[in-house]
Amino acid sequence: MRSDAVPGDRPRGLYARPGRRAAGIARVLAIGSVLALAPVPPAPAAETTPQERAEHALMCFCGCSDLTIRTCSCGTAARVKEDIARRLASGATVDQVIEAYVAQHGEQIRSAPTKQGFNLLAWVVPFAAILAAGGLIVALIRRWQARGAVEGAVVGAGGSASPLANLSSADRKMLERVEREFRRDL
Amino acid sequence: MADFGTLCLLMALATAGWAMVASYNGWRIQSGELILSAERAVLATWGLVALAIVALEHLIFTDRFDLEYVASYSNRALPAMYKVAALWAGQSGSILFWVFILCTYSVIVVLLHRRRNRALMPVVVTTLSGVTVFFLLLLCFLARPFVGLSHAPPDGMGMNPQLQNPFMAIHPPCLYLGYVGLTVPFAFAIAALATGKTSDTWFRTTRRFTIVSWFVLGTGILLGGWWAYVELGWGGYWAWDPVENASFIPWLTTTAFLHSVMIEERKKMLRVWNMSLVIMSFLLSILGTFITRSGVISSVHSFTRSDIGPMFAGFLGLCVVVSVGLLLHRLPLLQSEHRLDSFVSRESTFLFNNLLLVGAAFAVLWGTLFPIISEAVRGVKITVGPPFFNEIFVPITFAIMTLSAICPIIAWRRATPHKLLEKIRIPFGAMVAATALMVAFGMRDLYALVSFALSAFVIATTVMEFYWGTRARRRATQERWLAAFWNLLDRNKRRYGGFVVHLGIVLIVIGVTGSSAFKKEASATLGRGEAFSVGRFELRLEEIVSRDTPNHEFLGARLAVLDGGHQVGTLLPGQNFYKAGQDPSSEVDIRSTLREDLYLIMTGFDPQQGRATLKAYINPLVNWIWIGGLVLILGSWFAMLPDLRERRRTAEARLRELQPHAI
Repeated sequence: MRSDAVPGDRPRGLYARPGRRAAGIARVLAIGSVLALAPVPPAPAAETTPQERAEHALMCFCGCSDLTIRTCSCGTAARVKEDIARRLASGATVDQVIEAYVAQHGEQIRSAPTKQGFNLLAWVVPFAAILAAGGLIVALIRRWQARGAVEGAVVGAGGSASPLANLSSADRKMLERVEREFRRDL
Repeated sequence: MADFGTLCLLMALATAGWAMVASYNGWRIQSGELILSAERAVLATWGLVALAIVALEHLIFTDRFDLEYVASYSNRALPAMYKVAALWAGQSGSILFWVFILCTYSVIVVLLHRRRNRALMPVVVTTLSGVTVFFLLLLCFLARPFVGLSHAPPDGMGMNPQLQNPFMAIHPPCLYLGYVGLTVPFAFAIAALATGKTSDTWFRTTRRFTIVSWFVLGTGILLGGWWAYVELGWGGYWAWDPVENASFIPWLTTTAFLHSVMIEERKKMLRVWNMSLVIMSFLLSILGTFITRSGVISSVHSFTRSDIGPMFAGFLGLCVVVSVGLLLHRLPLLQSEHRLDSFVSRESTFLFNNLLLVGAAFAVLWGTLFPIISEAVRGVKITVGPPFFNEIFVPITFAIMTLSAICPIIAWRRATPHKLLEKIRIPFGAMVAATALMVAFGMRDLYALVSFALSAFVIATTVMEFYWGTRARRRATQERWLAAFWNLLDRNKRRYGGFVVHLGIVLIVIGVTGSSAFKKEASATLGRGEAFSVGRFELRLEEIVSRDTPNHEFLGARLAVLDGGHQVGTLLPGQNFYKAGQDPSSEVDIRSTLREDLYLIMTGFDPQQGRATLKAYINPLVNWIWIGGLVLILGSWFAMLPDLRERRRTAEARLRELQPHAI
């Protein structure tokens, strides 16, 4: 049985290898958290009709707010909503309505960057940064865990319950040297 | 009086400059007299800035429209409460108020710590005074509040109507208290780096300041949301406006610090990271101010724009160079014993929690700055609006909530799988049960299902933590349940205060989810006796109402609210037409219950035909956001209460730091 078994744990079946089992659970939890980061399809119930999708995709240009046409309650937004309804009724698609406004007012009228070309960076970079930093943290945790295990093993062999506090300075230096060598060999 | 105010500011600049120089030199040559002189100069600066504020308020209250600031932000009919608030309604006044708060923090720090932290205090005073000097330079030369006009108008232009709201009178001071408060931990971090005394004294000393700043900044953000909800008239409370984002980003990094500092306390780990988080939070608060003041990014918060942006950019650059330089210089001193006993430990979950909180801050900052990046790279200015932030932020929030549910039940150092499975069973069961119940009742919105399920998970974990703790104490001490519960909380204020804060955040998430996913709206133009429906409510126009006050005229529509044919109330939305000549502001009316808000706006009125154009929203669960805010405030207060054990630990840390000097 591994030295990190806790008294009272059953040494067989589900809890036969606590360290490995714990690491497994940790991975499940870590993966769960990362999966939670995966963008959920953006389809809130409130924005399902073509009219609502078009209103949601355009910013109001009334000059008094940073709101989408859908949320702004000013006169400009009301006029744009009527215009969108008219265009959709005449057979235009949502994309065509949006493009017509972009042609008239420029890219700035879109409420969010498009998911192509340079603008794709806006969407990708935050998640990429979090996932990269997450990978770094996993690597660091493993390294620190290995360091802790070496120390625990050395101290455990000495039979001391309270690790470093009871070591003489000579022993401590020796331990540090062993640890350095161990890390070099990893 | 205007000359007196200007003189006070110039003298304050001189005393703050002296405090900075004397304190620094006092520390370098170890001169107690210079250090004492600097500390007295800090007190003098506070007094002079306070006098400048009194002078400006006197000019506002006496309607001295020969002063540009008074003529621009006040008028004769402005109610007294808003004349006080006029201090922070404009650019220079708000910077003056900012400096006053900074000076007040500086005085508190000097009075509380000049004897306790002799080693760090000279550099702390240097840093605080340095920041004060920067803002006073702005006030004395670029954003002067006491500039006169050649011809005084008969009346002032008055305050922006949207600012004439009680919440707006409290919201900016709260934000300023939070932003400026972050200067104190930053000053102690810089002092620790400069003096090389990088043990745990600096963060133990400043933790209370950090919690206070975090708490008031959070309160300020919530009050801002409330103000937007009741004043701006679009039925929402958060629009991911650049200035809102600017306050939210340092709040997120400070939240990360308040979690990761626990690892430094227990394991002496993450010392560089914690130092970086404190520095980052301060720099982000300055960046936030830069965004607010410079107008570099378009925003609804356009009350206070001017050309002081380059000065802020320069100051921000200087702060980055000094703090990063010091941090790199002291890296060898900040090496810590990085050891973990297990992957499954509280320490690991805190690391991931920090990753997500700082990642969230980065995502919001990235989205806020992306229009500038796009313009610089492609020459095309784009908008990054609410749909982007919602899509980016929601999954990160879900991940943070998952960790909030798991983290408290994982033991420090090493969690055994047996214990972990045993502890997670009930909260996980609660989450599954809540999800099944919601599906059974017909909820199909994926976002809402995940959000409510995770909320149930966090609530169950938190409640079980209280239960397990009380049960353990009861077994150990044989106390009654209530006594055991109270003593448990009393002896672990930070831990259980923190759990209450978690509950507050979950209530906010529930409110945000409900009001976003299940919002309903309708609009109509009605004559007297006509009605329209929104959700289960029918709204019938009863009469058009007009009122005259010295400050404004009100024009509104009184509507009967019918639910299932029975009248359940009346609402009176309208518009205020200010006599000082500004644009009208909408005055919404809300029928508020725990289940939902019926939110009504009058967007227009045709006087010829006597018809009012109205817009109505049903915002389900929105009140839980404000209730969650109150719970958050309660938890924060509880965590900040004096703790004898904490005081002992802080004293021990200081003693450890003093021991080498004794030798």
